[in-house]
Amino acid sequence: MARSVVERIATIAPARWMLLGHSMGGKIATVVAARTLRGETPLFGLAGVVLVASSPPSPEPMDEGRRLAMQGWAGAGAVSELHARSFVLADLADSDAADHDALPRPELDRATDDVHRANPEAWRAWLDRGSQEDWSVAVSGSDFKSPLPVPALILAGAADGDLDADAQRRLTAPHFAHAEVREIADAAHLIPIEQPAALAAEVRRFWRERAGLGPTVPSDFGRVLASARTTSRTRAALAARALADDPDYAPTVLDTEQLGRLRLLADHLVPQPGPAIDLAARVDAQLATGVGDGWRPADAPSDPEAYRRGLDALADWARIPDADARGEALDRLGDGDLEAWLEDAAVDLARQWLAHPATMALIGFDGVATGGDTGRQSGFAELRADRAESWEPLPDPAVSSPGVQPPGITNGASRSTTEAEA
Amino acid sequence: MRLDHQRTYSDDEIADVVVVGTGAGGAPLLASLAAHGLRVVALEAGDNTEPRDHTPDEMLAAQQINWMDDRLSGGADATAFGPNNSGRGVGGSMLHWGAFAPRPDARDLRLRGESGVGRDWPIAHAELTRWIEQVERFVGISGPERYPWDPSRRYEMPPVARNASSTAMLRGAEALGITATDGPVAVATRDRDQEHWGLRHACVNAGTCHQGCRTGAKVTMDTSYLPLAVARGAEIRAGAMVVDIETDARGRVSAVVYRRDGELRRQRTAALVLAAGGVETPRLLLHTGLANGSGQVGRNFLAHGATQVWGRYDEDMRAYRGYPSSIITEDLLRPSDADFAGGYLIQSLGVQPQTLATTLARGGGLRGAELMRWMRDYRHLAGVGINAECLPGDDNRLTLSDEIAADGLPRVRVDFSAGENEKRLRAHAIRTMVALVEAAGARETIVLDRTAHTIGTARMGSDPGDSVVDAEGRSWEVPNLWICDNSVFPSALAANPALTIMALSLRTADALRRSAGR
Ligand SMILES: Cc1cc2nc3c(=O)[nH]c(=O)nc-3n(C[C@H](O)[C@H](O)[C@H](O)COP(=O)(O)OP(=O)(O)OC[C@H]3O[C@@H](n4cnc5c(N)ncnc54)[C@H](O)[C@@H]3O)c2cc1C
Ligand code: SF4
Repeated sequence: MARSVVERIATIAPARWMLLGHSMGGKIATVVAARTLRGETPLFGLAGVVLVASSPPSPEPMDEGRRLAMQGWAGAGAVSELHARSFVLADLADSDAADHDALPRPELDRATDDVHRANPEAWRAWLDRGSQEDWSVAVSGSDFKSPLPVPALILAGAADGDLDADAQRRLTAPHFAHAEVREIADAAHLIPIEQPAALAAEVRRFWRERAGLGPTVPSDFGRVLASARTTSRTRAALAARALADDPDYAPTVLDTEQLGRLRLLADHLVPQPGPAIDLAARVDAQLATGVGDGWRPADAPSDPEAYRRGLDALADWARIPDADARGEALDRLGDGDLEAWLEDAAVDLARQWLAHPATMALIGFDGVATGGDTGRQSGFAELRADRAESWEPLPDPAVSSPGVQPPGITNGASRSTTEAEA
Repeated sequence: MRLDHQRTYSDDEIADVVVVGTGAGGAPLLASLAAHGLRVVALEAGDNTEPRDHTPDEMLAAQQINWMDDRLSGGADATAFGPNNSGRGVGGSMLHWGAFAPRPDARDLRLRGESGVGRDWPIAHAELTRWIEQVERFVGISGPERYPWDPSRRYEMPPVARNASSTAMLRGAEALGITATDGPVAVATRDRDQEHWGLRHACVNAGTCHQGCRTGAKVTMDTSYLPLAVARGAEIRAGAMVVDIETDARGRVSAVVYRRDGELRRQRTAALVLAAGGVETPRLLLHTGLANGSGQVGRNFLAHGATQVWGRYDEDMRAYRGYPSSIITEDLLRPSDADFAGGYLIQSLGVQPQTLATTLARGGGLRGAELMRWMRDYRHLAGVGINAECLPGDDNRLTLSDEIAADGLPRVRVDFSAGENEKRLRAHAIRTMVALVEAAGARETIVLDRTAHTIGTARMGSDPGDSVVDAEGRSWEVPNLWICDNSVFPSALAANPALTIMALSLRTADALRRSAGR
């Protein structure tokens, strides 16, 4: 099932996308997300995961009697309309009321009909195996050791029996490093038909305030990263870096004020065009790993300490209200130790900026896509100035200097000027 | 590389020779000794990898194949370590070297005799060349059909493909009347069967040599000398960091202490070769106090001048494609208008983005809008860079600091300041390179200062009073201790060092073997 989802997304190949899965679909979405973040799918651009009344990666908690009964419904062919109706009603909030007023009649009929039409083998397979399979370790390692870095919105119906918000916090959320569990009122398990407007609003908010932040990797560049020209390990690293920064990032090495100053400083040292990457947060996270760049000035303290001291020394500077005045003041600081540290900070921030695949696309660098996991490496066949190969993503015309022609035609692949300008 | 089928030795067995480090200095020697039947064990601090473990991603690569533990850098021209010059792993810095493989010039080995400064080598150029040719034959070098500065020289394979930065340099050089041509490059440009390793695929112009070559085209130790060594019975112990050296009552080395998987172990041995590189070798010697009667350990630290000049062209150069430094000129080895001793090579340059941004900030002092402007013009940049002679200075040295690093040894401190000779040479080189890049058609140029390589910290010589090892690499004081890496160079030489290190490695192996009666 995960494979067919992957194939479907691959044919659409959107630039930046979220996976949304309901119930059993949530389990599949989680597995697809895990594989994609490990670079194992030919996909790029995953920005978020929305799990709606999701079945967790571990076996779904389910009353054994009910499971057996439901298996029985499809023992000799399709689930009867009667059973289908009772199944749907059981998944709704306030299901006692036969004429359930929270769900209009046509929706109820359609849901019933969907269950009735379900392939009985698939119905049984989910109950026998799919719901019982344990994908926990495949998703996030043993004991949730490597939670998925993708932002996740986990929605639970307030009246969902086995999979309420508490259960989701226990069973699903730990698989994600950044999970937000929210409860949907007046809904049980069938949130998409019970509370479609509330669901849509939640998804939109999640995209706007969390998953969709920061720069987007253009789709033609993403397609190259998703292709067999890029190794899975490289793809995995780039996929993680392409994820939106957490707006509520809590620094590890710096304190909140120092982080704020580093953000301000980043605007001066590495001023980004367009939607910004939180370079300061990324540098803090890098400092927290303890891996530096192999050296430091002889009289300087360790990198984390140098950052703390440098940023403390910039406390007054950071209070200058006007950005231009701040920029000029920064150029006049002139003190030896602080200058040396500013150079380090500029390097660290610039490296984080360039490590983001959207920046690679922006400056027109596709040299990470020089060969896949197996077989001969592809490298570059065309090395001449003003020439590109047919697989290469188009340069951002805004970056190319005036007067520069778009790449010529090589390798028999045609690429017209109008395409390049489009 | 495959290590699962190798012969192994127990810690209590007395190895004939233990070699610390598996880079350019350690690997050829290990293979040579093993081939002569010696029982040899290499201890390597870094991990074992296959070419396919490398990634073109600069950030991942740096963490995988570089020595990232902090070194302390002082002086007016503090040297950058880490990805700039220090490797770690089975294969050493050769995992990420640039594979530019010029031979040293005869005049550079006699610099003092010629100019009264620097040092002469205690080895004749003709003899060194014979060892170099042996290395070249084994690993396979590509180069031009006719080498203008040494027409008798032959290279096995045709040159690597030229990229946009290559043609720009050729254009500029021609306009200035400078001879430039395809350089000697340790990259297979045809599929090449490497004995005991397998088929090295021809270079595909990926341009990621500094991140590790995934095709096996680039010469590395883990695809050449080390598999040969293992086939001849050597053991390579990866993840084994040597932290101490033990001696017996007569002052001879009896064992090395190393940490592996968090555990301290002791390997007994009849002889020890330090091939841990120009920083870690003197660090071990200073830490143990061995072989330093002359007081020269850590002194004479040399770093090649490696200033670059980049040009911004109207054309879409994208010089990250292709082998990065394919063109050479040796015309500037002794410029007629020089006001300095020695000289320099120029090579063409392509670069990966993070490396460029780092050099723009550190070597060009750029930040803010200017840094962004150059980076956004990345596609339009191509450069040239030098590898230049460097003379020893009294204050340029490696010492131990009071700070203890994670490996339990004191952190090193390396002080480096360019002297008068380096400054004059640099000024000359900048004039030449700016003129060349402008003549090639660049609209705008920028000078980026940089130094490269870690040389000279346990130099060889013929006087026990002012050198650490003799002309064969043997310690003057501890007769079963040998040194075989970049630290033994008496002078920097304008040629990039690795080819010479490998040649010295074979030569030291030969001397050691003879001293052991094999
Ligand atoms: C980015 C870059 C580009 C370069 N490009 C070129 C080029 O184009 N041409 C050229 O000629 N040269 C080039 N060089 C230089 C060349 O790689 C080095 O000069 C050469 O590899 C040095 O050889 P070595 O044996 O002295 O040390 P290394 O090759 O560095 O080997 C030392 C080994 O010892 C190990 N080690 C250190 N301490 C210990 C310990 N205590 N215990 C166990 N193991 C230890 C290290 O992990 C390392 O693997 C380049 C270097 C860099 C960094
Ligand atoms: S340019 Fe050639 S030698 Fe360098 S990494 Fe690519 S394939 Fe290997």
